[in-house]
Amino acid sequence: MRPALSREQFPTILVAALSSSFGVALLEVTQALTLLVSRDDVTGSSHTVAALLSVLAVVFTAIAVYVAAVVTVNTIATIVAGRTRTIALYRLVGASSRTLRRSVAREGLAAGAVGSAIGAVVGAGVVAGGLAFAVRGRVIPALPYSPWHAVVVLPVVAVVLTTWLAAWIGSRRVLAVSPLEAISAAEERTLGETAARPARTATAITLFSLGTLLLVAGILLGLVSGLGVLVGLGGGILSFSGVVIGAQLVMPRALRLVAYAFGRSAAARLAGQNALRYPERSTRTTIGLVIGVTLVTMFAVAIGGFEAMVQAARAAQPETYQGIQPTLDATVAVFSVLTGYSALIAAVGLVATLSLSVLQRTRELGLLRALGFSARQVRFMIVVESAQLTSAAVLVGVVLGTGYGWAGAQSLLGSIAGAPGLIVPVLPVAVLATIAGAAAALTVGASLVPARRATRVSPVAALAIE
Amino acid sequence: MHTELTTAIGTAVARVEKLTKSYGTGPGRVDALAGVSIGLERGRFTAIMGPSGSGKSTLMHMMAGLDSPSSGRVWLGDTDITALGDSQLTLLRRRRVGFVFQSFNLVPTLDILGNIRLPFELDGRRPSRDEAAWIDRLIDSLGLRDRLGHRPFELSGGQQQRVAIARALGTQPDLVFADEPTGNLDSRSGREVLSLLATASSEFGQSIAMVTHDPIAASYADRIVFLADGVVADDRPRSTPEQISSLMLALERHP
Repeated sequence: MRPALSREQFPTILVAALSSSFGVALLEVTQALTLLVSRDDVTGSSHTVAALLSVLAVVFTAIAVYVAAVVTVNTIATIVAGRTRTIALYRLVGASSRTLRRSVAREGLAAGAVGSAIGAVVGAGVVAGGLAFAVRGRVIPALPYSPWHAVVVLPVVAVVLTTWLAAWIGSRRVLAVSPLEAISAAEERTLGETAARPARTATAITLFSLGTLLLVAGILLGLVSGLGVLVGLGGGILSFSGVVIGAQLVMPRALRLVAYAFGRSAAARLAGQNALRYPERSTRTTIGLVIGVTLVTMFAVAIGGFEAMVQAARAAQPETYQGIQPTLDATVAVFSVLTGYSALIAAVGLVATLSLSVLQRTRELGLLRALGFSARQVRFMIVVESAQLTSAAVLVGVVLGTGYGWAGAQSLLGSIAGAPGLIVPVLPVAVLATIAGAAAALTVGASLVPARRATRVSPVAALAIE
Repeated sequence: MHTELTTAIGTAVARVEKLTKSYGTGPGRVDALAGVSIGLERGRFTAIMGPSGSGKSTLMHMMAGLDSPSSGRVWLGDTDITALGDSQLTLLRRRRVGFVFQSFNLVPTLDILGNIRLPFELDGRRPSRDEAAWIDRLIDSLGLRDRLGHRPFELSGGQQQRVAIARALGTQPDLVFADEPTGNLDSRSGREVLSLLATASSEFGQSIAMVTHDPIAASYADRIVFLADGVVADDRPRSTPEQISSLMLALERHP
């Protein structure tokens, strides 16, 4: 339908670039670190370290690519919703819905290819630059390092393919557009987009319950053996999969809960209604951020739990736990950056979706302006909408992350020498403050541009838009 | 025949003087309004007619404070609205003007009652007891009682226009603007909507200005102002659709 990449595809390109640069950078760093540890391999453990690093790189790249795919499904679905009339017009003059859907997916493929290529160059460049800088500063010795590895092709290709797939999934609604929508009055008719999906709901609940049971089992087992963490890990993965699959049951409720906190003024109420207007879309907009916040919180709480336990144990047996603090701090820092990156990708997605959906509501905002909504009220409404989405995502993410992090620490360390048994979950204030600050910045960032654009259009012009 | 001479300022609910609006500059300049002076009488139903491009919608937008003129003045009651800034115009639209558009009148996320009460909500207040009673009466007389909890997309086009009318009349504004209110309706729903507007004017004394190019719609009005090429071409009291049609045809033939 539109072979060239339009400006609408910018978020998709950006998200693809972010995830591919992350994957490439992680692999490059892994290569460099492997070289570094194999140089003075006195213990003979460099193979284990290399393998461990590779596993970490793959796991975190997979998380980033998954979040990016969720984001892209949503962006594409939003674009398709905005093009309903154009699609209907094509259908009217005889285009088949399959052809149209394929062309949307092709746009996604093109955006994914462009973004992924840009990301690869940026990722490799940043690592090469960082290494050169570290060598010059004599932090590390000069390495026989080259940024050209066959293995970095993997994340690049993976990003292109997942973007393509995400575009295909996101373009599902093309099939439902009827040619009549081109000529009838452009009223909203897609309300209640969410069809009940009993099988999906059942799967989600089963996974979540089973996972939670395993988590509890892991914690109990952790009181006697460190192996409890393996049981807990399985439980965590299962139950979190349940949450992601059943997000449509969770997120609208969280949004409704959050909406109450924003008061009952006309602007706040309309904002709440808008966030809930397409439950499926709001869910997808927020779920990426939920995943990111959950991971960041989980590692922070787990480390907080470690510290609490280790401190209690150290009080009992001081000599066993000397010099562990720097290691814990470094671990927190590394994992926060790795998981925070997925949260960043999700944030980009949230900004993009919100901007697009405000753009698509130009006419509705024009109506509100005509009826006496002041420019300020419109801006406030958009900011509140954005704040509701981020708050709901942060709320759910922090709750889940706290639970998983606590369970992780508990099941791993519940049995160490001198440990106090069950501990209260520790929420690290610094990490929470960072998350809250980032969420607030995201709220403002996501709403500033669309809010300005929405109030710059005169009501007459806005109402005239088809 | 220029009616501003016959309409005393005291009875005019709205008037415009030497109003012009042009788009663009230089040789590509288009004059949507080329000096229009009219007054609308309080409590009456006035139709503004004209072929496409005659400037009738532009005139309505100016009078409603939705757009600003290139030159000339607009009064709503005793207020010179050409001098008002955006926030004052917003308050004016909220409190003193009502709108019924051709389509896309209702906020899709609000139910019917929410849409009717929206102007009050925007003002951050609840309707007073009298206002609530008035809205109740409107809901009954417009036949919307059993629809209050529905969303706009669940209603037919005619029902949606009735909701828009209820909302526009709810605040008892100085003036209700209706822009092709029947343009998207079948003829039966269209006639219903027109009778409702005419009744609002004759029974409740509501001042209404309706922009239309449909002679049948215009025949419901007390007075018909004809625009052509940005100027007032004619000004008639209540007329039959046949009379209006022949006037329109004459306007098209002798511009």
